[in-house]
Amino acid sequence: MAPCDTDWVVLLSTTGPGHEAALAKLHGLLLKAVRHQVLQMYGRLPTIGVVRVDELINQAADEAMVAVLGKLSTFQGRSKFSTWAYKFGILYAAVEVRRSMWRHWDVDLASVPEQPGHGLVPEEEAEGAELSVAIREGLEKALTPHQRRVLIALLIDDVPIDVLADRLGTSRNALYKTLHDARGRLRRYLTQAGFLGEPTSRVIP
Amino acid sequence: MTPARRVTTQELLGRLTFSAEPWMSCDECFEAVDGYVEMLLAEAPDSIPGLRAHLAACSACLEECRSLLLLAAADAGVDPGRALERLGNA
Ligand SMILES: [Zn+2]
Repeated sequence: MAPCDTDWVVLLSTTGPGHEAALAKLHGLLLKAVRHQVLQMYGRLPTIGVVRVDELINQAADEAMVAVLGKLSTFQGRSKFSTWAYKFGILYAAVEVRRSMWRHWDVDLASVPEQPGHGLVPEEEAEGAELSVAIREGLEKALTPHQRRVLIALLIDDVPIDVLADRLGTSRNALYKTLHDARGRLRRYLTQAGFLGEPTSRVIP
Repeated sequence: MTPARRVTTQELLGRLTFSAEPWMSCDECFEAVDGYVEMLLAEAPDSIPGLRAHLAACSACLEECRSLLLLAAADAGVDPGRALERLGNA
């Protein structure tokens, strides 16, 4: 039987009776979350073989275990302990899978594409041409080189944010801030140029 | 690696200029996501608009949130359909 949520923290943070069993149960929860995440992303995993998948699962679970134990004091009971722990397993598994997917690919961090709308459907090309030019100008004029390469990599080339963070030696958190700021600058540029009205955002039901 | 994705210029514009307000960082999103998922599964009203905006703007955090929701729903033995629908609008 799993400990109740307050027991989890006590059992995991003090070396007494039940500590080892709680550690083992936590590892079981994390393996479950990691396997679940790998399964969710399995179609995108390159053919890396069963042994490598097993290694990936165990590595992610071990990293998640260290992270959970390090953050134990921050568990405030806003969710069940299992849900709280699962999110660490899911995060570390997702990052490992994304890294694995991109390990043989170069990330082009230097260029601005000739046409930012290079994947346009044909019937859209004519009416989109003017806007496409404006977007390209906005990318060049409104953004810093760093903002430009982050925006293009994440939103046009679909490089996963964790992979880009690895290649640039930074974090997901820092890249998201760059992305947020770059979107704001481009939005202001394109609004002033007459291509945008109200800010693009969605209402949450 | 540049996937051959076909998007309209308008879709590209939306993606490049999306306004995720109120501001929330990826770290703050991670802090709150477990409570958020349980709130969605309980069909409670959304009380964290910043998180919702973040998920609409950050595909990695959204992917992980959706996955956590499925796992928590399976554990609780509840149908994730309605909660996924709400999340799908992020
Ligand atoms: Zn994020």
